[in-house]
Amino acid sequence: MADLLSTGVSGLLASQVGLSTVGHNISNVNTAGYTRQTTSFNARAPQYNGGYYVGQGADAVSVQRAYSQFLTQSVWSANSGQSRATQYASLTASVNNAVSGSANLQTALDGFFGAVSDLANAPVDTASRQALIGKASTLVSTFRSLSSQFQQIDQQTNQEISNSVDSINSLARSIADLNGQIQKAYAGGAAPNDLLDARDQAISQLSQVVGVNVTQGSDHMVTVSVGNGQPLVNGTDATKLSTAANPYDSSRMEVVGPGGSVISGQLGSGSLGATFDFRTNVLDPARNQLGRSAIALTDAFNKQHAQGIDLNGDAGGDFFTIGDPAVFNNTGNTGNAQVTATVTDVGKLGSADYIMRYNGTGWSVTTSAGVTVPSTGTGAAGDPILIDGLAISVPSGTPQAGDSFQIQPTRNAASTMSVAVSDTNKIAASGPLAATKASGNTGKAILGALTVTNVADPAFSTPANIVFTSPTTYTINGGAPQTYADGDTITGNGWTLKLSGVPAANDTFTVKPAGSASGDNGNALALANVANKGVLDNGVTTVGKSYSQLIAQVGTAGAQANTALDAQQSILDQAMASQQSLSGVNMDEEAANLLRFQQAYAASAQVINAANTIFDSLMTAVRG
Amino acid sequence: MRISTSWGQQQAVDSMLDRQYQMSQTQLSLGNGKAIQTPADNPAAAARAVDTNSASAQNDQYTRNIQSATTRLSVEEQSLSSAGDILDRIRSLTLEGMNGTQTDESRQSIATELRQTLQQLVALGNTKDGQGEYIFAGNRTTTQPFTIDGLSVNYGGDQGQRMVAAAAGLQVATGDNGADVFMSIRGGNGTFVTSAGATNTGTAVVGATSVTDASAWDGGSYSITFTSATDYEIRDVNDPTNTVLSTGTYTGDTGTIAFKGAQLNLTGNPATGDTFAVGPSSSQDVFSSVAGIINAFEAPGGGAAMNNQINAQLQNLDQAATSFLDTRTKIGARMNTLDQQTQIGADVKLQYADTLSSLQDLDYASAISKFTQQQSALDAAQQSYVKMQNLSLFNYLK
Repeated sequence: MADLLSTGVSGLLASQVGLSTVGHNISNVNTAGYTRQTTSFNARAPQYNGGYYVGQGADAVSVQRAYSQFLTQSVWSANSGQSRATQYASLTASVNNAVSGSANLQTALDGFFGAVSDLANAPVDTASRQALIGKASTLVSTFRSLSSQFQQIDQQTNQEISNSVDSINSLARSIADLNGQIQKAYAGGAAPNDLLDARDQAISQLSQVVGVNVTQGSDHMVTVSVGNGQPLVNGTDATKLSTAANPYDSSRMEVVGPGGSVISGQLGSGSLGATFDFRTNVLDPARNQLGRSAIALTDAFNKQHAQGIDLNGDAGGDFFTIGDPAVFNNTGNTGNAQVTATVTDVGKLGSADYIMRYNGTGWSVTTSAGVTVPSTGTGAAGDPILIDGLAISVPSGTPQAGDSFQIQPTRNAASTMSVAVSDTNKIAASGPLAATKASGNTGKAILGALTVTNVADPAFSTPANIVFTSPTTYTINGGAPQTYADGDTITGNGWTLKLSGVPAANDTFTVKPAGSASGDNGNALALANVANKGVLDNGVTTVGKSYSQLIAQVGTAGAQANTALDAQQSILDQAMASQQSLSGVNMDEEAANLLRFQQAYAASAQVINAANTIFDSLMTAVRG
Repeated sequence: MRISTSWGQQQAVDSMLDRQYQMSQTQLSLGNGKAIQTPADNPAAAARAVDTNSASAQNDQYTRNIQSATTRLSVEEQSLSSAGDILDRIRSLTLEGMNGTQTDESRQSIATELRQTLQQLVALGNTKDGQGEYIFAGNRTTTQPFTIDGLSVNYGGDQGQRMVAAAAGLQVATGDNGADVFMSIRGGNGTFVTSAGATNTGTAVVGATSVTDASAWDGGSYSITFTSATDYEIRDVNDPTNTVLSTGTYTGDTGTIAFKGAQLNLTGNPATGDTFAVGPSSSQDVFSSVAGIINAFEAPGGGAAMNNQINAQLQNLDQAATSFLDTRTKIGARMNTLDQQTQIGADVKLQYADTLSSLQDLDYASAISKFTQQQSALDAAQQSYVKMQNLSLFNYLK
């Protein structure tokens, strides 16, 4: 007869394993990455007892994870997407906060142009001149403060990149170590459930930082690659990624693979990929747009300012100053060429950055995104390379084939802006010329608008005497006779003068420099009108409009990021729900299992008791 | 379907956090009254709000420009009105002085008063605006435009005219230079001037002159020479052959001489050999007209010579009064334009405010109802969470 005692003991032991597993599940109910485990039992091989088999109890044969490779992989992938969206939304929100904060550029622009108008109302008043310089300083500091907020966000992305690379390296190391431990643990034939969970959890954490691609090997080890196939973990080996300064712009950080090549652009999803994407697609365009606004304002205002004369009677100098486009040498350059760039036509200036390469015979220019830019010129002295409103020249040094340079025309322009005028007398509010009708004129012609067309004309400041030799002909400074009809415009050296009415013979009109202390407000009116003048995009976009474009650009990026985050969050929730539905611990289920195994244990104990009782009965019978 | 206990709890907590976040966003909006917290909330509206704000600020600036222009124009209008009054006073003093009963002494005292009024007229020409700038100086607003030396007045300003931007593309003049208003006044009747020969001995005085046929008047210079007390000959001064153009007779105490569309009214009796010159008007300043009257009064003797001089100057004064009136009419037109523009500006300001409000202001009614909804949603989430947590099989395992 089969051994009832050992059968009871087998049930006792099997139930103990079941109870332990339930206990383990309950204990790990809140452990991240834990996979619910179940115990499976087998009936022991029966004993042949001549004519029939008698069962010999049960064995706990394995403890398994409730695991699906597919569901886990989809959680990893959703994790990458969600973490990317979170990071992108949070960085984009910081740019949004920068432009919606108190440093409102539009208010500063309005205040500045308001002060220019006030100057036009009181052109020789020192207080209105002082107020204008004050408002100009406010405007410049607003430009600078926005620019520095953007720069801080740029620094923050550097910090994010560095932290992300550190955590990638440490997670890669753990995964490689766990690979080794798992392979050893499998030597006994059983799956090391908790080690597998730990490895999955490490991969899940890695997937938050960077998109991963995981392949199961036959040796129970996993191969992990990131981004576009960059291998990271292979067996027990982990590749180390590192950070390095951008070869052009040392202020920005890039991710470098083990071979030394820059892999920043190949990282795909995850928070690290989002950081690079944000930098390229949100931050840089916003900074460039801000810089472009600053350049446009400086250029348009200075040009108009130069058209007027100040209280000393001198032509207006620069009102604002702004730095030239930044040019960076590639650290790998072997030649010693120096490259400089200047803005020649703000109307054509875009918000791209450019890379200029030398192939041994000539230069070619592409945008930083790699789009070829048509250019003219050789870059030699007197023949600069002309692209998109920029003139690039190589004034000194000799380039070698393969040398390259990066040109950032607008990136940091706003931070280099400053007010050049500090002396109130140097504000050129007055028009440069004054027209006079001689007091002895007998005709009825009167002065109309005097318009400046070209202050650079060499004879611009030469006084011009317009003498009518008859009601229909006139000479300028005794030159060739010209014909005049009522309402005609007389053209001089860099100016035009409209007359109306019929003059008499010998009537004289004079155009000459207005001189110092002129209370004319002609140029101040023109300066105030710069606010409404299309400057950018071939004379279409005003400075103010370029700022509202920046707002729309940043706002749209923010809105898109928020929508993407909502979508990614629900994808992750679904993936997690499916995976947790299979692998998560349900306490009610565990409670039921606890009862089940408790009862089985008690029953097995009862079997042992029965075995004991029948053995006692036998002994009593034998003793008689 | 199985529910993972910890995931289920996490989901419940997440949903509570989510609702709390939404409530805090609504609360933030309720707190500062803004529908757009960052441009990401509504990029298009945020950009339009920036544009509208800017347009509104510019509109406000135009209103300020108009205020400053109106002040300046009012000052100018006021001074020209006073200048007109002074001209009236000069005219009545002059007529009084021309009265045949006056003596050299009494004319002298009238001349003394006229000197005073001339000073007043110059002072008005030097009027400053609220910012201390001379309004009649053209663009030399910091230089005193009129300086008086004896009886002669010089203009030191220029012929510039200050403009103000009253709206986009609309500039309105905020002043008139002294050269136009006080200095370049057409003499005589505006078309021609007359003067009596310095050696005339008769009592003939040229009174009012007029142009009867503007197309016949050719702007030349002519002389009228009396060959007897009643006959006169008219010649073109610039004709080297000195040909007589026409002849006529003047009989008696009053009469007219007309030629080439010009008509002169004469009174008194000319002597043989008396001459009168007729020439095109040229510019004449109001101060020298007054100075001419003063000089005529101060010269002893009176009589036809004085009357001829003064009559010519009185015509000039009329021209000056017309010039002041014309300028005041122009000022009135400008102020009308500015008033209209102020009205338009005020309307536009309201529209901008309306647009801005619809773009960025919070709709409180809907925000509060949203807040209440979110509150009950959070409340429901919290209550159901607590109920769910109490449902555990372990509660029954005793």
